[in-house]
Amino acid sequence: MKLLDSFRIVWRNLWRMKLRTALTSVGVMIGTAAIVAMIALSLGLKENAVKSLENFGNLTELDVQPAFFDYEKDEPIPDDQRKKLNMDAVREIKGISGVAAVMPIKRIQGEAKLKVGRREGFIEVIGVDALESAAYRKNDVEKGSYLSGSPQEIVVAYHVAGNLRDVEKERREARRRSADANRGGGAEMMPPRFGRGEEAPQSFNLVDKTATIVLTREYRIDDEPHFEKKEVRVRVVGQLRQSENRRYGNAVYAPLGLVKEMNDWLNRSRGDEFGDGGGSTRRTRETAQQDSFEFDEMTVKVESREKVESVVKALQERGFEVWSPARELEQINKFFFVIQIVLGGIAAVSLLVATIGIVNTMIMSILERTKEIGIMKVIGATVYNIRWLFLMESGFIGLIGGLAGLGIAWGAVELVNYFGEAGGIMSSLNIGFGGPEGEEKLRLAVIPSWLSLFAIGFSFVIGLLAGIFPAIRASRLSALQAIRSE
Amino acid sequence: MANGTGELTVTGVNHSYGTGKIKVPVLFDINLHVDKGEFVALCGSSGSGKSTLLNLLAGLTKPDEGSIFVNGEEISRFSENELCLFRRRCMGFIFQSYNLLPNLTALENVELPLIFAGESRKSRRAKAKEMLERVGLEGRMDHKPNELSGGQQQRVSIARALVNQPSIVLADEPTGNLDSKTEQEILELMRRMNRENGTTFIIVTHEQEVAEQSDRVIYLQDGRVVQKRTKPA
Repeated sequence: MKLLDSFRIVWRNLWRMKLRTALTSVGVMIGTAAIVAMIALSLGLKENAVKSLENFGNLTELDVQPAFFDYEKDEPIPDDQRKKLNMDAVREIKGISGVAAVMPIKRIQGEAKLKVGRREGFIEVIGVDALESAAYRKNDVEKGSYLSGSPQEIVVAYHVAGNLRDVEKERREARRRSADANRGGGAEMMPPRFGRGEEAPQSFNLVDKTATIVLTREYRIDDEPHFEKKEVRVRVVGQLRQSENRRYGNAVYAPLGLVKEMNDWLNRSRGDEFGDGGGSTRRTRETAQQDSFEFDEMTVKVESREKVESVVKALQERGFEVWSPARELEQINKFFFVIQIVLGGIAAVSLLVATIGIVNTMIMSILERTKEIGIMKVIGATVYNIRWLFLMESGFIGLIGGLAGLGIAWGAVELVNYFGEAGGIMSSLNIGFGGPEGEEKLRLAVIPSWLSLFAIGFSFVIGLLAGIFPAIRASRLSALQAIRSE
Repeated sequence: MANGTGELTVTGVNHSYGTGKIKVPVLFDINLHVDKGEFVALCGSSGSGKSTLLNLLAGLTKPDEGSIFVNGEEISRFSENELCLFRRRCMGFIFQSYNLLPNLTALENVELPLIFAGESRKSRRAKAKEMLERVGLEGRMDHKPNELSGGQQQRVSIARALVNQPSIVLADEPTGNLDSKTEQEILELMRRMNRENGTTFIIVTHEQEVAEQSDRVIYLQDGRVVQKRTKPA
């Protein structure tokens, strides 16, 4: 018997008893819909949780610090045994398999402002090893290029430009506004102010401009605070693209050497200047001392999400403390796995009931068609033909139910997502991370394609399993007795 | 043209009904030989064992003792699946109550054995159509069995029995449900098929007309062959 012919016969038989087929399928439909909807819901919740985490930082980036506390011995690690974040540590971490790059960071120990033309704003200066960090920061550059290694270059994060303000101009406008307000025309003046505030950051380009980093140090003479300023001229060579990681939104990346110089100045007492003349000799000396120099922090880039766990383990064994959203992700995964099991289990019970329903229907229809089976056997159907026909029949009942159930689950998911958005459930859950760029649609439930395929395949298999016993029964019918039955 | 020679031999068959302690003996020491292309009637009163013998010949039941050879093959030793394949290839069946599938049209009923044999749609359709034309039902191909008269239904079942080109056709009271005029038509149809295809026919009947038009009549009484009468030429 040809496959297509057998399907044609099966379809005809199902169609002949369409009401019974439909009613039996409803059982599978409900079960499938329940399972798919529940898994979709938990997947959606998980996706949202993961997204929220991604807002805190890239999942393949780990922040590494020396461990301060030995949890096994339950005591703090003494200073001299603590790991140092120096070049040795960088080399050690680089040796761990799965590590793509190590980016040591040195922050400046004071306040810094960036000044470009008449605009200025506070920034966070982060010293990075230009060559080391280039490996994976290069891809994040939106405009211009990344640090080349020459000393007076900086790269700015996406939001830096937007945070620079033309202080003089704003002061002037504020004066004019208050004057306008006195004349009673305040309301008319509101829109342009808003417009400027929104548009200016995007249109303002920093790349290839000369900028000045303004450092301020405070010192006391006779308990009187005094402030001293120092200006460092730099060139902005690039701007990073907008990132979901908002932690470093206002960062300016500078070569480590530059940051070291700035820190030296900030920590030195008043009167010590590092002039351009003496600077060069000092700089060479510091390069030689690079190995004993300690960083504030190290960011370790892992090759892929899957390798994060093993890298974290290796780092901990070597005496480092690791913070990474990926570690929270692991907890989330465990939590949602349990939820999926529980929800899936409940739905599985309804599928079990549906399966019994299919078995019942099949046994009934075999009783009804006993004579027909006998005739088919006499005119040349083999035992395997009969078994195949009935297996396929019950498999198709499962398949029909599965398709219908998937459709219902899909509809339910769309509804939940629609009302979830309209009712603001997601926006209230999302408080804290949903900035202007967080407007990407957040879904409460998702049906990935693997889940659809799984649901269809699973319901078909359920049908097949339910059909095994009836099919064997049908094939064992004695042709002679079957043909005599009425 | 037919599959197999159409020869049939029964040697020393004893058979009884029932399982376990109570066994009812039905057939005693049956020895038979049917030549290829013969048209044989199997007669006997009710309970003489003729239907049981036919079921044994069809391989639907297995004899307690003895052997049955069809086309030179000992079908009494076949497994159930081998029997299915053998029937599909070499045997056709005609029943008293036609046994057509009620939800299939005449054409589809005739096609069914070819479907199980795995023939392509095009070729089996052509064969079934040709067969229905030969039994005189060219205008009724798309009718369901309940839209056909008894005689027409039996014609469909004859077409179905012959569409596989079997070497042997076994018929169980093929005219039992028909009036005498239709009976005659069906009988003539079977004889024509017998002549045209050289197919062996073994017909269980208790009707005199059928016996008279056969090449040979085998009488069964109380489970024994009592007389083999050859029709005078």
